[in-house]
Amino acid sequence: MHISDGVLSPMVIAVGFGITLVLLVITLWWNRNDGNVAEQIPKLSVMTGAFFVASLIHIPVPPTSVHLILNGLMGVVLGLLAYPAIFIGLILQALLFQHGGITTIGINSVIMGIPALISYGIFKVGYRKGIPPAIIGAISGGFAIFLAVIFLATALITTGEEFIGIAKLVTISHIPIIIIEAVITGSVVAFLVKVKPELLPIDVEVTKDEDN
Amino acid sequence: MEYPEIDRYASLKSPIHQFDPRAKIITFSILIFSFVFVNNLTIAGMNLFFTFVLLLISRLPLNFVFNRIKWVFLFVLPFLIIMPFTVSGSELASIAGIKMTYEGFMYGSLIVLRAIAAVTLVLTMLGTMRFDTTIKALYMLKIPGLFIQMLMFTYRYIFVFLSDFLSMWKAMSSKGFKLRSNIYTLSILGNLIGMLIVKSYERAENVYHSMISKGYTGNQKTLVKFNMATKDYALTIVLIGIAILPHVCSMVI
Repeated sequence: MHISDGVLSPMVIAVGFGITLVLLVITLWWNRNDGNVAEQIPKLSVMTGAFFVASLIHIPVPPTSVHLILNGLMGVVLGLLAYPAIFIGLILQALLFQHGGITTIGINSVIMGIPALISYGIFKVGYRKGIPPAIIGAISGGFAIFLAVIFLATALITTGEEFIGIAKLVTISHIPIIIIEAVITGSVVAFLVKVKPELLPIDVEVTKDEDN
Repeated sequence: MEYPEIDRYASLKSPIHQFDPRAKIITFSILIFSFVFVNNLTIAGMNLFFTFVLLLISRLPLNFVFNRIKWVFLFVLPFLIIMPFTVSGSELASIAGIKMTYEGFMYGSLIVLRAIAAVTLVLTMLGTMRFDTTIKALYMLKIPGLFIQMLMFTYRYIFVFLSDFLSMWKAMSSKGFKLRSNIYTLSILGNLIGMLIVKSYERAENVYHSMISKGYTGNQKTLVKFNMATKDYALTIVLIGIAILPHVCSMVI
């Protein structure tokens, strides 16, 4: 899912960095209303570390195994701050594990981060409409990967028409991952609703009243 | 799952190890960006050769480096295998009636050479200094403090959560849980990840409160001082020259 160095054209790389820069500024500025961003940094970083570790889990899909991406779940739990979290996660993945690359940090953040922001929106709207959390969680998780694959294919195709064949194969090979991420995100959301509902963008007050 | 010890061999001695961290980050980044956008197969090959020379100078154990390059190679290998069949152009060979093209093969090879050159540079850069030195150098290069701190905290908590995760994993396997490809496995994994997130959230609250109570304001202070010596400047100029060279060459050719 992460594109490594040496694949994309300078144009796509530059656009990726441009969009990422703008979105980082917007997402961090937006959260300025909820208090000092600098003071929130330790919290956000600890959560980013947890998601980083969770994304190292490999799930056997015969004949190979895939690792989790969890960008949909990051969107649901972290909200707009999912974008900077994904950005940092990708930098560390490139530096520590050589997944992805240095020049592709910008475009990879776009590929993972924008779907995360959208699935945050989907979850919020869907929950308000009364859809059970597990189901709307699964939808957000699956949709985030689906959208990421579309972005990935677009990035490849805009690099050159040589990549059309590869882009098609990449898209098809991600179908099982969409299903896995949907099931995992759904079950994590169901778990969090029971155990720690304040982590989700849902009406916490109601749940607290029920507890009392 | 293993700990991401990228800086395991940072204590060795070599000209690359002694290169000023700030200059190292700048020159290697320029080299990476330069080598990644080369469009000529011969030049890409020469670039790869040069990165291996740098790697040999750095004296990093080769199996440590190749173990990590392997993953990038596995990622770009499909490009080399698939592109000859999907890119149109002149015929190179045909297997069972399916045409392989020369252009596709060239393009695939170019991607593999560029990717491996880039990752070799990254490993030579990061492997030759402690990761906290890398982050401090980035801070001194005026990368916004917000990102530096997120990198630093996240890096440290990755180790904490890895050991958390491994102990939860041990608990689960001792109760007979095995990874299979079915829905049950996925929903149990969902609970595991949920628990990891809950734990991290509670830890985040504690960390936040303890840091605030110690007067944390979000501004970083660092005690490490770096000194640029003449040889650092010389090496910087040489490496930047080498970074520019391929693009001058391809313009002339």
